[in-house]
Amino acid sequence: MADDLKELKIELSKNGIFTTTLEELYNWGRKNSVWPLTFGLACCAIEMIATTMARYDLARFGAEVFRPSPRQADLIIVSGTVTKKMAPQVVRLYNQMPEPKYVIAMGACAISGGPFRDGYNVLRGIDRYIPVDVHIPGCPPRPEALIHAFMTLQKKIDEQALRGESRPRHLHADAPSEFPVPEFGAHGLEPAQNDEVFLNETGNPLRVIQ
Amino acid sequence: MSALPTVEDLKAQIEASLPGAAVTVIPNGSPSAQHSLLLDHEHARAVALFLRDHPDLRLDFCSLVTGVDWLDTETTEKIKVKKMVAGPDGSEIEQEVEETRKMKVPGYLEAIYHLFSMEKKHGPVILRLRTANRTDQTHVPSLTPVWRSCEFQEREAFDLYGIVFDGHPDLRRILMWEGFQDFPMRKDYVPPADDSLAPLPFASLQRASTKEARP
Amino acid sequence: MNIPQHPWWTVIALLLGAVAFGITPLALAWLWAKVFSPQKPGAEKNATYECGLESKGDAWIQFGASYYLYAIVFLVFDVEAVFLLPFAVAFTSLSAGACLSMLVFLVLLAEGLVWACQKGMLTWA
Repeated sequence: MADDLKELKIELSKNGIFTTTLEELYNWGRKNSVWPLTFGLACCAIEMIATTMARYDLARFGAEVFRPSPRQADLIIVSGTVTKKMAPQVVRLYNQMPEPKYVIAMGACAISGGPFRDGYNVLRGIDRYIPVDVHIPGCPPRPEALIHAFMTLQKKIDEQALRGESRPRHLHADAPSEFPVPEFGAHGLEPAQNDEVFLNETGNPLRVIQ
Repeated sequence: MSALPTVEDLKAQIEASLPGAAVTVIPNGSPSAQHSLLLDHEHARAVALFLRDHPDLRLDFCSLVTGVDWLDTETTEKIKVKKMVAGPDGSEIEQEVEETRKMKVPGYLEAIYHLFSMEKKHGPVILRLRTANRTDQTHVPSLTPVWRSCEFQEREAFDLYGIVFDGHPDLRRILMWEGFQDFPMRKDYVPPADDSLAPLPFASLQRASTKEARP
Repeated sequence: MNIPQHPWWTVIALLLGAVAFGITPLALAWLWAKVFSPQKPGAEKNATYECGLESKGDAWIQFGASYYLYAIVFLVFDVEAVFLLPFAVAFTSLSAGACLSMLVFLVLLAEGLVWACQKGMLTWA
């Protein structure tokens, strides 16, 4: 929005006239009804459950409805260790979610493999296969950390433009909505990472428009 | 609670009732002193049945099956060899010379069973089965027909160590997927190279953090 | 003012209002999708099974009917408990006829239990 329009809006609100844009209204509605998928992988899921209960009460942020089907979910919280045997299922669930969809990688294991990083069976971070919006470190992160991640995600949703080149992935017609599911190979998952998504050590990733 | 006979007594009992069975006592020098019995392949199942059904032993519960990978080792030993050596005056004289010889001891895979008795409330008796080597002869007889509780744990040992249990009713991989070719708990297992991210150099991280701390 | 005074006028107006109330949000959503968000269907996204695994085999298989018998036995105990509680509460003020009909009901349920017992339903494994 142009600066003079912003000033006009502030000026109007000073005089008791509330104005908004379609984009702001749209993002306001979306960020306050992010429905996560009922999906827990390991001990971080216990913290996620605690976050939704009365003491921490994620319902305050409009996320109390944990949907049991990916078709109805906006957000997948990858809470816990992703084993190589589970990784294809996680990617497939993500693929089945309708756009716009978001990912929170919760805990050391989900972001990097954590203490099991050198194990033969643990995926070293789910961001190898699907685009992650918010990473939370911690082993496990406290419910406050998850709430903070959730607020970060809300802020991110709030800043998404409806038009223009900087608009998010789900508004680009040619950006992918499904990501390739890794296959079980002879020595590990194939491919080991999706280079379209993964920020690898070359430092020059071909990132999906986020 | 009836007292369990010592491993030496067990060995004697087994060899008395099963002629031909070769049982070796593997001593354990640690304070726990859990000595174990190494069985030969031909008689392993007969010995297992004997331990399970003997009225004084009744080892009816196999609580644990696990695998151990023993790598090939090299031992050096010094031996004295008589050799013809040129003497100071030019003639050859016989002299004893010390030589070090390197011996290659082939490694093996080992399956270990811990047996208890629910009825007599005693245990454990520890059995070991060894494969001939680590590469092509990795077969041991399965004890699942004797103790049903071995089934999944033998599958696990097969999956992670590659010990093939002959006579197992359903020997498939249990933790890794079908089509996986490695045995990840073996000591020489190397994870696929493309799977590791190069670690960030620690020094540069440290410099960055100190820079942040002292602006 | 020349408002038509047909007796059905209000009903028609309300009907139109109700239909519009339902259709307007749907039309808005449809329009929004047309203008802003492109549709991205895919083979995996449209897959029937939604548990992360690929579906295999056929859904048209026969299931064992024995679970139906368990449901019936459950009903014997469940309905019994529901009806017996008010009966027990009001027992002292009931007539002989009411007690008799309750007993008939109990006998019917007990018969069901005996039948289930004969079928071997109450033995596990």
